Amino acid sequence: MMAPMRRLSFGSIQTNMAAAFASLILLTVLLLGFIAYQLSTAAVRRSAEDYTAELVRQVNANIRTYVDNMRTISSLALNNRDVRSFVAGLDALPEDERRATEERISDFFRSILLSRNDIASIQIAGYDGSFVSDRREAKLNPYVSIPEQSWYKLARAAEGGIVVSSSHIQPIYRNEYRWVVSLSRELRRDDGTGVGILLVDLNFNVMNDMLSQIDLGQRGYVFIVSDDGNLVYHPQQQLVYSGLKTERIDDVLRRGGGSFETDEGSQSRIYTIQDSGFGWKIVGVSYVSELVGNKRQMDLSLLAWGGFCLLVAIALSVLLSRGLSRPIKRLQERMREVERGNLDIYVPPDGQREIGLLARTFNMMVAQIKELMSQVVREQEFKRRSELNALQAQINPHFLYNTLDSIVWMAEAKKSEEVVLMASALARLFRSSISKDRELVPVRTEIEHIANYLTIQKMRYKNKIDYRIDVDSAILDCLTIKVLLQPLVENAIYHGLKNKYGPGCIAISGERVADRIVFRIADDGVGMDEDMLAKLMRPDARKADGRGIGVANVRERIRLHFGPEFGLVYESEPEEGTTVTVTIPAVEPREEERCDKASGEPEGGREAAP
Amino acid sequence: MTTGVRGWGRLLTLLLALAAAGGAVYCATGRLADMGGGSDRPRIVVIIKESKSMEFWQVFESGAEAAAKEFEADIAVIGPGKETDVDAQIAMAEKAAAERPDAIVLAAADYNRLAPAAETIGKLGIPLIMADSAVNSDRPKSFIATDNVAAGEKVGRLMAEQLSATGGKVAVMSFVQGSASQIDRERGVRNALEKAPGVEVVGTFYSDGIERKAYETTLELLKEHPDLKGIVGLNEASSVGPGKALRDAGAAGRVKLVGFDSSVEEVKLLEEGVMQGTIVQRPFNMGYLGVKTAVQAIRGEKVPKTIDTGSVIITKANMYEDENQKLLFPFVGE
Repeated sequence: MMAPMRRLSFGSIQTNMAAAFASLILLTVLLLGFIAYQLSTAAVRRSAEDYTAELVRQVNANIRTYVDNMRTISSLALNNRDVRSFVAGLDALPEDERRATEERISDFFRSILLSRNDIASIQIAGYDGSFVSDRREAKLNPYVSIPEQSWYKLARAAEGGIVVSSSHIQPIYRNEYRWVVSLSRELRRDDGTGVGILLVDLNFNVMNDMLSQIDLGQRGYVFIVSDDGNLVYHPQQQLVYSGLKTERIDDVLRRGGGSFETDEGSQSRIYTIQDSGFGWKIVGVSYVSELVGNKRQMDLSLLAWGGFCLLVAIALSVLLSRGLSRPIKRLQERMREVERGNLDIYVPPDGQREIGLLARTFNMMVAQIKELMSQVVREQEFKRRSELNALQAQINPHFLYNTLDSIVWMAEAKKSEEVVLMASALARLFRSSISKDRELVPVRTEIEHIANYLTIQKMRYKNKIDYRIDVDSAILDCLTIKVLLQPLVENAIYHGLKNKYGPGCIAISGERVADRIVFRIADDGVGMDEDMLAKLMRPDARKADGRGIGVANVRERIRLHFGPEFGLVYESEPEEGTTVTVTIPAVEPREEERCDKASGEPEGGREAAP
Repeated sequence: MTTGVRGWGRLLTLLLALAAAGGAVYCATGRLADMGGGSDRPRIVVIIKESKSMEFWQVFESGAEAAAKEFEADIAVIGPGKETDVDAQIAMAEKAAAERPDAIVLAAADYNRLAPAAETIGKLGIPLIMADSAVNSDRPKSFIATDNVAAGEKVGRLMAEQLSATGGKVAVMSFVQGSASQIDRERGVRNALEKAPGVEVVGTFYSDGIERKAYETTLELLKEHPDLKGIVGLNEASSVGPGKALRDAGAAGRVKLVGFDSSVEEVKLLEEGVMQGTIVQRPFNMGYLGVKTAVQAIRGEKVPKTIDTGSVIITKANMYEDENQKLLFPFVGE
């Protein structure tokens, strides 16, 4: 529960790094996004404008094609032989010949018309009132005066030039009210006198169909205005005429080409103008709000991608920061373990160089701590051993006083021989325990020590104590702890034999069993019951009675020197006697050095004891 | 080493997840954009009086479509096959209301009988815009039409001008009894003629919108009132029928004729001089403004209670003027 919270808590390396990474990435993404948005908006707008211009150019080209067709037809008509003779004057001809010519012209016109579905009609209106058209029996509208028509008047005024009208109703035929675009030109004789007007009508339907299918975005459109300001085509012409919609016709006519943008807020429009070359302006109108066609879609996708990038940024930064902070955290965990006391910790110094160095230093530090700790442990152990030595030394004074008392009594009884014996034994005893500085001594020395000790005791207790020492001579050179057996023998005397009625015997044996040396100290004294035996074998046996102190002391010294697998075992039967078996490793003299080192016995420790 | 491998694996997993998320974002963006393009276009049902052949309603429809394009709405234009089929229009209005469009534009075929349907639409909270003909209800948010009283007065004044020298009897040829626009037009005509000295209105006659009936009624009228000086037709059929009757009876010019609306027949009558003038409405503007106002109402904007789309007097003198050509001959090439 705590760990994840701590991992995300403020101030942790990972959080700080993650925040830094995230904000860096986010900043970059936002900046790039903004620039990309601006650029793409501009690009989209430019391409939309290009598209509009191209479309308007295309429309212009189409419309020019129609008008060029009409022009071609008019040239064709002018060069026709019959038309030329009509122009030259039919008045002089006889009536039937004149009629035949007119019929041939009519047939010629009809043959042109058959090949073109965009041409509504072709006709010649003579100034003399004659009228020839593509139909042989043309029914003219009796209520319409042809010379009143604007195409007629304009062509006459143009003196042979080509006039292209705006789109209009052609009412000259009876019961026909067609929307057409008219091309008219005066037919002139070589001397320049006009004889009539040639009129080619284009079916405006064709243009209308083409224009109404043009889409400039959802709402954009194309319109055509003639140079005199009349709308040739506008998809919402009626709205314009009734004022519901305003079209910048004046601006269009003034500019004549290129494009301009109106200032109508969100309804701003862009006019793209193309001049047709024959008096029309083709104008594409597109809405600015639509130019950046799907601005909303751009906004939306930008938003979505922005959110996505944010997520990526966070995920990446968490990942990166975790990668960077993981070795630090691992180091921290190891440190915490050291805090808890486990010094057997090794941090593999992999990862980044700095972290690796840190780990190596940490490892060195832990090793040093460990070394120092073990040193402390060793010193404390030494202290304890010194205490034991001191304790051991304390035993000796009673024995010394008692022995000296015995010597005094013997001296008083003038037993000089015995005094000599006893005093020399005492002297040897002390020499052996004092002279040697070392803790470990050869078995031989220890046995001699015991022999001296028993000699003294035997003399003190007269005939109450007898003893027998039987040690395998093969182990005499082996090493043992100094004054190892004496406390046990002391116990055997004071607790086993002293209270026995009659004389007793102590048998001391020593032999080698495999790599161990086994000493046995057997007495035939009063023995012990099981309770006492159990008390004696307990580790805190020193509290049991006098015997316990010595036993515990011996056991502890064996453990300290040779390890816990060695020690002593008591066996006893009440009224039968007690046998204590001491087991120590068989240490050859040449191993002394090693053994000494392991025990860490400092030189001169003995002298330190009081 | 093992942590390294696991780290790369985790990175790869993460990248895959990111790629998947990116794909999801891309798709979502596309879908959102589609929604933006499609579903928020308002849906508007436009119910007209006649959907088969009448030029007036065809122009009305193209005006509505122009507005739909400009204001980015989806419209459906429906209407009965005959202008007099009021029941069919009522059924259509009820059905349209049940489909819950965003708005309904209605040209009521009958002032009173469409009222319950208007109530139903209003109760459902669907904005209702009336076009051309009103309904006897205060549910509609807006009424877009020719000011028929004003149009009637215009045509009445034109007739009064024609008779300024002579005065005399004038008959009014109306169409469907009970139609709001007819009532208003007649009132306008009578207002204007009452002010004209020496002009007497002999009565109002009904053609039921059928040219044949108007023709026959006129022939009877001519017999009944040999001194009849003028006829005012209140719609297309009620103008063409009398025109043909006057032409056939040889009364053209002697009996003046002014009328409403436009058609090729009326254009011919004007050219021939049988008809002295006609009032042309602006159905394109009506359809356009109907849908535009509906869109505004959907957006919650305040819309004007009434919009007059205006009317234009067409006479033989001005009929080929640029601005009037489009009104008289709205269908290019037909």
